Amino acid sequence: MNLEPIEWVDDRLGTAKFTRKSLNKIFPDHWSFMLGEIAMYSFFILLGTGVFLTLFFNPSMATTVYHGSYTPLDGHTMSQAYASTLNLSFNVRAGLVMRQMHHWAANVFIAAIVVHLLRVFFTGAFRKPREINWVIGSILLILAIVEGFLGYSLPDDLVSGTGIRIAYSIILSVPIIGSYAASFLFGGQFPGHVIIPRFYSIHILLIPALMAGLLGAHLAIMWHQKHTQFKGKGRTEKNVVGVAMWPAYALQAGGFFFLTAAVIAALGGLFQINPIWLYGPYIPYKVSYAVQPDWYMGWLDGALRLFPSWEITGFGHMIPAVFFPAVLLPGVTFGLLILWPWIERKFTKDYEYHNLLDNPRDNTWRTTIGVAVITFYMVLFFASSTDVLANFFNVSLNLVLWSFRVAVFVVPVITAVIAHKITKEASAVPGAGRPRKAMVIMRSDEGEYTTVESPGRPELELKHQAIHGGEPMELPEEERAHKRELGEPVSVDNEAAFATASPAVVLAEEIGERPSGGTGVFRIPRAAGSGGGLFSPRGSRPNRVDNDEANGKDGDR
Amino acid sequence: MSFHKKTVGRLLVPVALGVAASVAGMALFSQGASAATLSSSSVAKGVSSVTYGGTRGSSKAPITTLKLNPSTIKLGHTLFVENCSSCHGDAAQGTSRAPNLQGLGAATIDFWVSTGRMPLADPTAQAAIKPPRFNRSQTLAIAAYVSSLASGGPPIPQVNLGAASLSAGEGLFSTNCAACHTITGVGDALADGVYAPSLYTATPTQIAEAVRTGPGNMPRFGTSNLSNQQVADIVKYVKYLQNPNDAGGIGLGHVGPVAEGFVGILIGLGALMIAGYWIGGRAH
Repeated sequence: MNLEPIEWVDDRLGTAKFTRKSLNKIFPDHWSFMLGEIAMYSFFILLGTGVFLTLFFNPSMATTVYHGSYTPLDGHTMSQAYASTLNLSFNVRAGLVMRQMHHWAANVFIAAIVVHLLRVFFTGAFRKPREINWVIGSILLILAIVEGFLGYSLPDDLVSGTGIRIAYSIILSVPIIGSYAASFLFGGQFPGHVIIPRFYSIHILLIPALMAGLLGAHLAIMWHQKHTQFKGKGRTEKNVVGVAMWPAYALQAGGFFFLTAAVIAALGGLFQINPIWLYGPYIPYKVSYAVQPDWYMGWLDGALRLFPSWEITGFGHMIPAVFFPAVLLPGVTFGLLILWPWIERKFTKDYEYHNLLDNPRDNTWRTTIGVAVITFYMVLFFASSTDVLANFFNVSLNLVLWSFRVAVFVVPVITAVIAHKITKEASAVPGAGRPRKAMVIMRSDEGEYTTVESPGRPELELKHQAIHGGEPMELPEEERAHKRELGEPVSVDNEAAFATASPAVVLAEEIGERPSGGTGVFRIPRAAGSGGGLFSPRGSRPNRVDNDEANGKDGDR
Repeated sequence: MSFHKKTVGRLLVPVALGVAASVAGMALFSQGASAATLSSSSVAKGVSSVTYGGTRGSSKAPITTLKLNPSTIKLGHTLFVENCSSCHGDAAQGTSRAPNLQGLGAATIDFWVSTGRMPLADPTAQAAIKPPRFNRSQTLAIAAYVSSLASGGPPIPQVNLGAASLSAGEGLFSTNCAACHTITGVGDALADGVYAPSLYTATPTQIAEAVRTGPGNMPRFGTSNLSNQQVADIVKYVKYLQNPNDAGGIGLGHVGPVAEGFVGILIGLGALMIAGYWIGGRAH
């Protein structure tokens, strides 16, 4: 194999060292760490299918008379946006399935972000030093919700048009600036002629670019700080135990991408989503009953439905009731979300680095608060389908509405009490959550029965270690600088200790001796120190120390 | 070393399965796409027999009136006394429990009886659609009896769908009906236990009767609101909604994003979380 080109690049950019280090990078292996990956892969699918859709979608509110293949709308006057979506759905090969995959991927994308966020929250992965990534992730969630709403609005059908009208009213409800902001966004009064093209620009350009950049930062910071891991044998705050990037993690992650693509493709082909041709074009004087937004906006819609029609006056002006559930609630929600690491620290006074995760049952109060908050938003979410529930269960809509108004305050308290009791109980049980060893019942000659824990199966343990046990990674640079600053013993001793402590190191060394280890890329010995360079993950050491000292004086710790 | 081969082999399983599933998914969605073209072409085939948009294919009257046979009035009277008079009175003049039916017309009687709403199961709730108690000729006999008591009210309409326009029907339906029955006709709950019923089981005659008579909370659309032609157009569109072009896979009940959210979260994310649990490590 001719490796000259690779060496040519290496001579100029020093990529071999980076590649070497990257391929050996250790990722802790736990299924819950893959939830964020679902979101990332859905994002890639959204980009791919989205590009396809842009080739056929015409984001114009100029009207046209439709004479396409969907005959029930033949002769109707409609916007170019709606007509081109009909055309995309019925006349473009694979157009409908691409549109459906795009929509399903959006639903899965945001759902995956939410469960990823819950995992990070309940395990305390947002604690120092990972607050920045928590903030970035929260902003990504907000952007994803806005992006989803904009995309849902683009076809300009009767249902989504009603959603835009609600959004217009919500903007109007903001005191002082509301009418100016709405007029600015819509280029005048609703519906105007610019909102679809403007949503389009924001949907396909502005927000995706922001999200791609933030996602890159999210991943780069995760890469730099190393992934958190659960407590376990051989795992400390200073190492990372898991599988190596190559081949184990790369294949695992690559396979998971294909699985994500497969599930979304199957949804796109098997389940109808948003059949806009049945909704008809948006005409402002028409409305369809039973209009819901996509699921990720459900909690906002639910809050709008539950909030009473109070006329609240302040400073001599009436503040529309819509303002409280639709502007104040999301503002408070996302404000508290972003600030959570600092809010929690106010109470815990915990200024330590945390690379080991909490088990949710070990942190009673965080788990309790989290469960209560989730329940609150779940109740709001279900409240967005009051009409569907009332119709389905054949009860009065008013009864359903009032039940939700009570439930939104009562149910979170109930679940919080239950969560508190369960976590308290579980954390008190020694060895809770650990798999139990088999018990062997023995009978003595006297006829006495005793139970003895079985020795387990050592050969399985060994195999597990061979697959999952990688080389523990060094602690991050900042941590070491920090230690050095405090005059604590650093590095060499610790690293040596890790190197001999973990049996997995043997495996890691074997990797170096594999046939592929003979190339230029793989030749660099792992033990060699990193001396800076363009792609060095360590950066310039003296600067780091300076920065750290400066930070230390700021009294952050 | 042998561990390595096994490990790599084991890790290749999800990749292989994912690729296989992707290919299968693509095969599925290309079917979905061809189904879309198929169903749109089948609609297009319908165009050859009936012309939509602007012009109607038939010069026949869009709605004709069903003539009731006077000889059935006697049977109608018997059935009425047996099944209806305990509430509506012997001569349909109404009591404290039920309204006067005289002069409401044959269409009103036919709608309430043929949809199974009458006789009423529960007088405290909105009349529900049930399997009708009477067959067609018995229903028409009751209608003949009640309309013989007093003149007035709309007669039973018979819709000539060949003379109706589907696309004109869409425009009229979305303007006049969708605000309660929803744009897909699936129906929904309104305030205080009142609901707009699903239109998916209604016959053309029943749809036209409901428009003309305004049963329950529904507004009544007279001939100055909607012409016979327009009523026929609406009927045609409602009949279309009962079996619409459902391209794109399994229709999720036409209730919109609520059902879609459940599928996306439970099936989509659920399947992926199971996949992640399968691929990823677990507590040990």
